[in-house]
Amino acid sequence: MSTAESTEARTRRTPGLVPVAETLSSAERRPAEPVPPLPPARRPWAFWRLLGSELELTFKRPRNLAMLAVVACVPVIVGITLWIVAGDEAMGGLVADVAGNSLMLTFASFSFLVLLLMPITVSVVAGDSIAGEAGAGTLRYLLAAPAGRTRLLAVKYLNAVVYGYAVTAVVALSALVTGLILFPAGPMTLLSGSTVSMAEGLTRILISVGYVGAGMAALAAVAMALSVFTEVPIGAIAGTMVLVIVCQVLRAIPQLSALEPYLLPSRFTSFDAVLRSPIDTGALMSGLVTFGAYITLSLTIAWAHFSGKDITA
Amino acid sequence: MRKGTFMRWGVPIAAAAVIGGALGAGPVIAAVSGDPVLPERSAQQLLADAAAATGKSEGPPPMSGTVQQTASLGLPALPQTGGSSPLALLSGSHEVKVWYGGQDKVRVAMPTQLAETNLIVNGDQAWYWDSSSNTATRVKLPQGGERPGSLATHRPEDLTPQAAAEKMLAQVGEHTVISVSNTAEVAGRPAYQLVLKPKAEGSLVQEVRLALDGENYMPLRVQVFAKGSAEPAFQIGYTQVTFTPPAAENFTFTPPAGAKVEEQDFAAHKREMGGEQQERAKEAARDVKVVGEGWTSVAVLPGSLSDLTGKKADGATPGGEESRFGGRDGADPAALLDSVLKSATPVSGEWGSGKLITTKLATALLTDDGRLLVGAVTPEEITKAAGVK
Repeated sequence: MSTAESTEARTRRTPGLVPVAETLSSAERRPAEPVPPLPPARRPWAFWRLLGSELELTFKRPRNLAMLAVVACVPVIVGITLWIVAGDEAMGGLVADVAGNSLMLTFASFSFLVLLLMPITVSVVAGDSIAGEAGAGTLRYLLAAPAGRTRLLAVKYLNAVVYGYAVTAVVALSALVTGLILFPAGPMTLLSGSTVSMAEGLTRILISVGYVGAGMAALAAVAMALSVFTEVPIGAIAGTMVLVIVCQVLRAIPQLSALEPYLLPSRFTSFDAVLRSPIDTGALMSGLVTFGAYITLSLTIAWAHFSGKDITA
Repeated sequence: MRKGTFMRWGVPIAAAAVIGGALGAGPVIAAVSGDPVLPERSAQQLLADAAAATGKSEGPPPMSGTVQQTASLGLPALPQTGGSSPLALLSGSHEVKVWYGGQDKVRVAMPTQLAETNLIVNGDQAWYWDSSSNTATRVKLPQGGERPGSLATHRPEDLTPQAAAEKMLAQVGEHTVISVSNTAEVAGRPAYQLVLKPKAEGSLVQEVRLALDGENYMPLRVQVFAKGSAEPAFQIGYTQVTFTPPAAENFTFTPPAGAKVEEQDFAAHKREMGGEQQERAKEAARDVKVVGEGWTSVAVLPGSLSDLTGKKADGATPGGEESRFGGRDGADPAALLDSVLKSATPVSGEWGSGKLITTKLATALLTDDGRLLVGAVTPEEITKAAGVK
């Protein structure tokens, strides 16, 4: 079983004439053929192997690497810009904070990137996950394995989550390195006006990476849900981006402010709770609960549609 | 439709139901667990207890919590002003965090997107920290137990339910029907709810609800309902509150390195400003005439378009939060005025003609013969008042 699967993972990009067209309807027409249960010890092993091969494909794909490079460039550009204008006395707020401490560049970069660029990268990978396979005609080979659909969905989602965290970590690292080169290191001033040591500042960066990454995971779930409904990957990707942009527009309308706490993108920026003293755990928790709700709803929708879908491509 | 489709789609539907249930969990849990049981009290008993609790020399118990203020006054869309500007409080929802350790230990923080303003009072000095301008202002408070209330007229401290409740308590009188319920719940705590209903027909205020904590009678929430709307037009209350002394580091403040530090001597400032303000207040008081009484009182002040901006702040009206925040220290009163005047409708009658501005809670009439009438009354009432010379 595991041998078959790994061979398949390696060769599934080559279209062939293998007549594997087991759709659900064909499976239901002959239900008498019981699938031999897998040895329980090997099952998780196969799952992780599939995830490993999936991750390898994701992180070897030039497109995905290029997106990582682009998001890594943004903190550098922001840092250099702030470094040039930092001498200007009139600048206040975030610019002054960043100029005063290297760690603040991470938060400044996040505040720019979570609005659009990071959601784009995540929705490209997550929106492509199922629709891309369907569009390229490789989905049916992936599904040849028994009990494959739920597992495939899980693997594809975890893959997108890992990519989302990779994007977040790349932004944080790039901002940290740029900040440490351009700006003075040392104790960090919080938004509340109190000062914490550099070690605690780094801890707070770690917390914000965890939070922003969770937000990207929630967006990946939404993109995934759209991805199972189409065979055109660009449709799922564009659909997710339209949702993000519509949410940003809705947030800007004051009359609809009652809606704001329920919109996913409005929670992305709550990472600034770690910059307060004491840390505003309430805001972080309610954000995580929102992410959890979006993940649950999107993934169950994706599962309900995908597990009953006729795979024709 | 294939067999099993319903089963599969049952999963996301169940998930949606659970999430929807969780969103409305507050009321559901309250309904299941039954109303919080508090001993019955008459309005008088409750008012006396509340007055005792708020008027006690040692003040309310140490606590910390989150205060949320929501206003939907039905004003035309306001131009976006800064997050901490008093004008911004006129529409939308705002949140401040409060830490209260005693009379001389108060911290009020107003968190906004990647910025925060803080007012920290500790002993005889106060710090006002604004992260967006990177400025810390040190204010020396006068000795002798005077609360720094007047300093913070337009600061976030304005938002504490105590201040709002004291205002409401002052309004209680012969013009009001008072009732008490003991089943309210605010911020997870059982509370008494004092309902004040104006007797007068012409008032725009449907009722004012004041929630007092069941244990220590601290005001937890004030809601003002306008006639004909189920949602409160103005609401301020705790969304989360704990009655334990907050950590001491909340009340210490050291200006961070690199911040601008400004000094202000409050006593001197007050002497300087006080005289001038008193002059102005006296002058304004001479000009203001009040027509009607109780909930339907209408303030009549001389005003034309040009000096409206300055005068508007003086027309304090019952329930008219608008005039309390508007005008005086507003970031851009002119912009607000412009957008409000655009929505004004021209009216005329036996009393003359003018421009009528209506919101859910207050009506203002700017007559062509140079008078400004403001009140929490219906347009009919205000034109009636305009007829009284």
